[in-house]
Amino acid sequence: MASSSDLREKLRKKRRALQHSLQVKDDVDADTQALVPTDRSQSKETAQRDMEELTAGEEEPGDTLRRNLKAQRLRRRRKLEEASVDDKSMVEPFHETVGEVTAVQQISQSDEKPVEPCVVSSPAQSQRGDLPPRPQAKPVPGSSHSESSTMRQRMKDKLKAARSKAESLLQQEASQDGPASRLQSLKDRHTLTRFDRETDADLRGGGDDHPSSLNVKVKFREAVRRVRVDSKSEMGLPTAEEAYNFFTFDFDPEPDEETRKGQKRRTRPEGENEEGEDGGDDDEEKEEEDKEEVTEVDREHQGEDEERDDNAPLMRDEEEELFLIDQSADDFLVFKRAEYMGYQRRLQSENELLFTPSFLTVPASSKVPENMKPRYLEEEGLYVGERPPMSLTNQNILENRILKQEQGRKWFGDDGRIMALPDPIKESSTRPPLFHIEDDLDPALQTVYRKALVSKHASQYISVGGETNGDYQLDVDVSGLIFSHHPLFSQEHVLGSRLVQLYDQHLSRQHRNLTEHLTTKLNGLRNTIGNMLEVHGGQRLTPVMQQRISEYKQEVRNTRRLRDLEQEKDRTLLKGIVKIWKEIKALRDFQRFTNTPYKLYLRREEVERASDVREYEAEIQAEVDELLDEMEEDYQRKVTEYRRQQEEWKVWRRKQRAKNKKKKKTQSQLDDNEDDEDNDDDDRTDGEAEPGPPKPKPPEEPDMEGVEKQVSEKASRIRRKPGEPILVPELTASGPITPNEQCPRGEFARREDVAKRSIFIKVLYNDKEVSRTDNRSLNSDFRVHFGQIFNLKIVNWPESIKLQVFEVLGLSTTLLADVFVPVPESSILTGSAPSEELVFSSNLRVMFDHEAVGSDVPFSFEVDGSNRQTLLTSGKLSCSVSWAVGEDDVPLAPPTTQPKPMYSGLKQLDAIASIGASGLNDMKKLGEWATESRLDPNDPNNADIMQLLKVASSGEVTAPDYFRLEQLQEEFNFVSEEDLEQSRRFRLLRLRNQEVAEFRNYKFVPAMEREVTDKVFEEYERRLKEGEIVDTKGHLDAHRALVAKHLHKIRESIINRFLIAKHHFIMSDLVQEEQVPTIGILGLNLFKLAEPKRPLKPQRKERKKVTAQNLSDGDIRLLLNIIRAYDIPVRKPSVNKPAVTSKSTRSFTETLTAGQSQRATQGSDWLLNQVQVRPFVEVSFQRSVLQTTTADGPNPCWNEDLQLPFSAPNGDYSTANLQSMKDEIFINIFDEVQYELGGDGEDRGKEVHTRLEKHWLGSVKIPFSTIYFQSRIDGTFKVDTPPVLLGYSKERSLASDGGYDAVRSLTEGAFITLFITIEPQLVPGETIREKFESQESEGLLLASEVFERDAAVHFPDRPCLTTVININGKTVFITRYLRPLNPPQELLDAFPNSPQEATDLIARYVSLIPSLPDSVSFAGVCDLWSTCDQFLTLLAGDEEEHAVLLCNYFLSMGKKAWLIIGTAIPEGPTTYVLTYEQNRYLIWNPSSGQYYGQYDTFCPLQTVGCLVSADNVWLNTQAYTSPLRIRFDVTKAKLWKPFFSRAFPNPGLSSVQPEELVYRHTDQAAAAELQDRIEKILKEKIMEWRPRNPTRWNRYCTSTLRHFLPKLELSRGRDVADEHRLELQSLLGDYRISGFPLHLPFSEVRPIVEAVYSTGVHNVEASNVEFALAVHVHAYPNNVLSVWVYLASLIRMR
Amino acid sequence: MAELHIIGQIVGASGFPQNSLFCKWGIHTGGAWRLLSGLKEGQTQVDLPSTGDMAYWSHPIDIHYTTKGLQGWPKLHLQVWHQDSFGRCELYGYGYCHVPSSPGHHHVSCVTWRPLGSWQEQIAQTFVGGGPQLRSPDLIYSGADRYRLHTVAMGTVELELGIIMRHFDRYGVES
Repeated sequence: MASSSDLREKLRKKRRALQHSLQVKDDVDADTQALVPTDRSQSKETAQRDMEELTAGEEEPGDTLRRNLKAQRLRRRRKLEEASVDDKSMVEPFHETVGEVTAVQQISQSDEKPVEPCVVSSPAQSQRGDLPPRPQAKPVPGSSHSESSTMRQRMKDKLKAARSKAESLLQQEASQDGPASRLQSLKDRHTLTRFDRETDADLRGGGDDHPSSLNVKVKFREAVRRVRVDSKSEMGLPTAEEAYNFFTFDFDPEPDEETRKGQKRRTRPEGENEEGEDGGDDDEEKEEEDKEEVTEVDREHQGEDEERDDNAPLMRDEEEELFLIDQSADDFLVFKRAEYMGYQRRLQSENELLFTPSFLTVPASSKVPENMKPRYLEEEGLYVGERPPMSLTNQNILENRILKQEQGRKWFGDDGRIMALPDPIKESSTRPPLFHIEDDLDPALQTVYRKALVSKHASQYISVGGETNGDYQLDVDVSGLIFSHHPLFSQEHVLGSRLVQLYDQHLSRQHRNLTEHLTTKLNGLRNTIGNMLEVHGGQRLTPVMQQRISEYKQEVRNTRRLRDLEQEKDRTLLKGIVKIWKEIKALRDFQRFTNTPYKLYLRREEVERASDVREYEAEIQAEVDELLDEMEEDYQRKVTEYRRQQEEWKVWRRKQRAKNKKKKKTQSQLDDNEDDEDNDDDDRTDGEAEPGPPKPKPPEEPDMEGVEKQVSEKASRIRRKPGEPILVPELTASGPITPNEQCPRGEFARREDVAKRSIFIKVLYNDKEVSRTDNRSLNSDFRVHFGQIFNLKIVNWPESIKLQVFEVLGLSTTLLADVFVPVPESSILTGSAPSEELVFSSNLRVMFDHEAVGSDVPFSFEVDGSNRQTLLTSGKLSCSVSWAVGEDDVPLAPPTTQPKPMYSGLKQLDAIASIGASGLNDMKKLGEWATESRLDPNDPNNADIMQLLKVASSGEVTAPDYFRLEQLQEEFNFVSEEDLEQSRRFRLLRLRNQEVAEFRNYKFVPAMEREVTDKVFEEYERRLKEGEIVDTKGHLDAHRALVAKHLHKIRESIINRFLIAKHHFIMSDLVQEEQVPTIGILGLNLFKLAEPKRPLKPQRKERKKVTAQNLSDGDIRLLLNIIRAYDIPVRKPSVNKPAVTSKSTRSFTETLTAGQSQRATQGSDWLLNQVQVRPFVEVSFQRSVLQTTTADGPNPCWNEDLQLPFSAPNGDYSTANLQSMKDEIFINIFDEVQYELGGDGEDRGKEVHTRLEKHWLGSVKIPFSTIYFQSRIDGTFKVDTPPVLLGYSKERSLASDGGYDAVRSLTEGAFITLFITIEPQLVPGETIREKFESQESEGLLLASEVFERDAAVHFPDRPCLTTVININGKTVFITRYLRPLNPPQELLDAFPNSPQEATDLIARYVSLIPSLPDSVSFAGVCDLWSTCDQFLTLLAGDEEEHAVLLCNYFLSMGKKAWLIIGTAIPEGPTTYVLTYEQNRYLIWNPSSGQYYGQYDTFCPLQTVGCLVSADNVWLNTQAYTSPLRIRFDVTKAKLWKPFFSRAFPNPGLSSVQPEELVYRHTDQAAAAELQDRIEKILKEKIMEWRPRNPTRWNRYCTSTLRHFLPKLELSRGRDVADEHRLELQSLLGDYRISGFPLHLPFSEVRPIVEAVYSTGVHNVEASNVEFALAVHVHAYPNNVLSVWVYLASLIRMR
Repeated sequence: MAELHIIGQIVGASGFPQNSLFCKWGIHTGGAWRLLSGLKEGQTQVDLPSTGDMAYWSHPIDIHYTTKGLQGWPKLHLQVWHQDSFGRCELYGYGYCHVPSSPGHHHVSCVTWRPLGSWQEQIAQTFVGGGPQLRSPDLIYSGADRYRLHTVAMGTVELELGIIMRHFDRYGVES
């Protein structure tokens, strides 16, 4: 250990060194200050400064001021610092500064710390590179200072040297770069001082500070390195071991004292600094007060700066210490006592600072203004509220305190007390307490606890009302069943059950006792009549009386008839019972055992013979009398009638005679005296001319004698003989049954069998089994009792309730029968529901080898086997289905009506909603409502109602006859009700919202009232107004006008129905869910990957379907590909010479020879004129017309694509609208004809003028709806060609001349192959799912649903139809439509010998009824089928109606005929008729009247879905659907699946068709009139269409044509063409004629005009053209009209 | 004649104990108001949000009214229902709000409440669902002394309503 002197020595040295270093430090400090701005707290400051900078622009003056101040302060500080080095004893403890000093101390301490570890042990620091002192520091540790001091001495010296060297180096460096900056800083210091640098540093950014500080470090390090190098060179390096020890040695801490001293020494100057500064600043304190903090902070930073920046000197110090002395950091520390101020002292000081108000009462005088006395308002009588309670002490304290305040007095009131508001707290709560008692609560406020309920009816039609969505429960009570026949019945059972049936019938009749009732009634009536006659005696009866008596008599007659009927029934029933009983007895005797316990007793009730006879006689007598009376009366009446008639006749005759006489006189004088004969003769002739009443015949005398006989005969037949005892049958089941042992083997086996069987019943709800009964064994009496009730909680709307009867035999169960139970009305509730007996039957064929009779097996009671009968298993199931009743007597039945609106409770509070606006005038209703809704009479809202009611009930004051709920409403109204109603715009909006037909798709409603014209409503109003008025003008035919109106109404109602139905959505309408791929699909797709690629085999890609919503005009196009045509008529050269062939050669013509001869005649032209025809196709759709190029020849091939734009009406592309589009695509084939015009004048021969004309050859019409529904149409269509085309002939190919012709015999005419589709593909709307009500039985409907569903699953492309909707919107089974119906007799009479002709004529008749597709008019909804009489009345219908009518006609003609439900081109799904005659099947197109053989390739029918006959429906189950490839033999079960089969027999559906059709006779005159009118209209139209050219009519030609047309009608457009042509040509040789007759069924004029227009005949532009037009209307029975229009254009050749 | 268009949507609801919710809504007006077009009541779908508390419906509302006077300005009343995992529905809240009376786009949040019921009912509700409902739901917007009803606050329904007014200025109503 070093001695104390040593220590002191050291200390002294150290101090010196310190002082020295301090000086150095100061230098460096100044230096670094000049060089480097503050660093560590830079970020803080910069943040602060940033803020300042931001505002710098604005606060320029303030800034400069502050800068100045800072500069001043800095200057001052420097001075102070310099001074403070010497001045050490300036300690002036200020209160405020104490804290600061300590703070500084802390800072300095904390700043010291990094230094200290450096010295002691800081591996972290030591690692920082190659800090030199470390290795050398090894000897430093104090523990080892006992080592050689010489060494230390040496080291010290060395270090000193090194230090001085380093110092000099540093100084050199400083002088190298330092002076400049220092100079600068010195220079700047006067004005800008540090501030400038700060900003400078700011601008440079924080990052730049470090380099500067680093610079210093680096410098320092360099210095150190130099030192180290020096020392190293002198001293040598420490060994590795030393180094290791240095780092790992556990140093002991240095003694504290030294550090403390050091600390003291170190800190003091700083503290002095502060104090000094503060002292210096004292005088300027006021100014700098606000800046104080800043400066302090600054200083702190500075302090830190110093520490940091002083690192170098400090380190140096350390080094010094490290190497020089054995000192540690503790030398710089000072231990201080905790600052403590004595309690008393503190109190003292606090007293000086704080003020404690006393709690003594303040004298009143000090509280009131001077010279005033306290004034007590209360004493003066003014109200002063009670003050809130407050403790006196607190009050005193408060007062004292307030008084000390400035203007403290203002807080005191006049009474010298502190002003206070009255106590705001109320004594008691004003809010009434809550008594949560249900009864007390306002009814509106009451709540109901409702269970959480599944809203189960979302997909079904059970509507979820807000209130009533409770459970629905069906109770199915299956009480038991009785077999009326069972396969195990023995013969005795059969008889027994019959007996029971009859007996039951007897009992029920007896129960009703109609006979008795009628007899008494009859007696009563007789008595009344007798009385009436008696009372009035012989007096003359008043007419009223007479009237009454005759009425009574009528009544008597009726009653008697009824009674007789009943009596007869009773008697036969009794006889039947007795007979069967006898049979049973006989049977029992025969088989010698009894099986049934039945026993019949006939109870005799003896009657007294005499009285009985008397009664009997009296009865007969009475009846006879009455009958005689009646007859007499009748006779009298007839006689009077006769007399009257005779009188009339005589008068007439006399008149006649007089007339004749007059006539005679005028005729000639000669015949004055004419005899009677002559007169009579005349008379007769005249009578024939104008028929008069026929001469009456006198009535016959009634046969009085026969009456009595008749009556007694009848009585003996239907009544008990007089004296015969009354027989009352009594059936008991008490008879003994022969025990099993005594029975023969067969019977025994049967009984065994019965015992083995048991029965149970399954309950199926909506085709799902919900429960089943227990097994009950079958007894010998074949009655099974279940007595089970099933409670079905239902979720879905009940569609069907079915009970299935099952029979169990061992393990096998067999279904005996299905029993459909009707779904009960919601009014049928459990308890009140009667038990129903439902009859069931099964057609299972069961046979047994024992006694049992079996089922569906013929058997006989007779021994010889005659009189066989077949019985089917049948029975009665007694059950009842009803809705359950809930706990609170609420029926658990779903509501039948529409649900109430969501907030029905509203009605209770709103009078108008509750009783309707009109009810407001009715005081009684209002009163009822008021009591019902429990209006609060005290509620001011209800005051007026209450008063009104009071007034009304008292009846004294007359109440005003109006009543207003919102009485002030009127004053504030903007407009009156009328104005609102009159607004056209609002009306339009509302109508559109209501989906009224005219406005349904109205897109834009104008914003301005004036833009809505009245015109918009015209149509609508007219429709409303003209509901009944029939406009006959447009129709030419009153009957058709009526029909059109009727049809329109039907359409309207049905459309409305469907509009409503359209708003029912189901889940799939709203949510579209992609099918989750199943494993199977995934697998398939995977396989597809492995498939070989076949680039040359193109795959068909499905077109994208577009839903109709987001379409607009122009998006859709119609694509037509016109491929080719066949057999187009060819031109015939204009024949200048008359035809060579004479008529005689044509008498045996066939077209074949005609063609040949034609060619022969043309021989010369043939070579020259190769072109036979140059056809092109023109397609028109929605006013746009496109045409193909012209091709050559009769079999042209165009193969051209045409694109037609498509736009929906009103721009509405909704499915419904598209479906209802009625536009048609017209495809017309024209011939382009070139005519050379003679050049005029000089140009002749040089120029050739040609004119192109187009001649119409034929057309095809395809409705747009067909394309829409089928999405594409592809096929060959028959072109509608006129029967006669002038100038053209049918060219037949050579092939057809051969034997092949026979095959195609039925298909003459031109054909065209087309492909039509819509681009992009539109999704056709689905038909609307709506269940129609039906009168069909539940079972049938269900079966048909199943049948159709099966068909759809297995054969999706085959239309299958079992039920259709009739015109009233009810579902009807399809077979009901077929029934033989008589065709008009005159059609049959037309060809009595040729049935073939007659058939054709009838088909033609049917086809003449205009066609009106209902899928167009009813928006794709469904087909409506009308019956034949409706069809004939409406004279318009779909293919179905045509087909049904045709089929019915064929049936009545004795043909085998079926309906074919299939698809055809171009109609789509349609109905055809199939007939079987002469071993071949013919397919009839009912709407065209054409027929095709089964193997006709051109038959438009493409698919056969099913066949319908009058009693069954067969579904096509063959592999193919085309009629060519299927067999029509419906008896083959493999090929056709019947609807009614053995399992489900036809229940014998009656037909909906009438018995017979009545035809109205045709009015020929009307037809003629119509003919004239059409002709006139057409002529006008043609002239109208040719506005530029004059239209000349060739009368001669017209008349020729007119004569020709009837022939055409008679021959139905066949076989007359050539004759006619020849005729025409011979007549009009000079003209080139082109023309043709058009044939149309008549419905309206418009289609005729359209058809004429579409042929384009009027377009001929030649100047010398003439026209000929003839119209012929042929009337068929029942106003079916066939219209022919012959149109020709004639051009004079020369 | 003044016209009022209400076009907007029921955005959704949040703050309910469960978040699979749907909403029944309706618009109630005074006697002077005429519906020109649009549906004035309806029901939203059930939204079962997998994340978050808010059930989104985005249910459109598009109504066009005309009116004779200002009385009975349209009120929108709402019933929020909850559908639990068994598919059962229970009432979760009643609420109503006035249709904003200034034109423009409005964000309306409608707070809802539900009757509390007796303690037995509350217990029943916790375990088996269901809950008390008002016998007369028009109480929601009619001001009978409702304070006697014990209710619990439920969540809020967010609405976005665009209001278009027409010709109100003609009758001195400034908007």
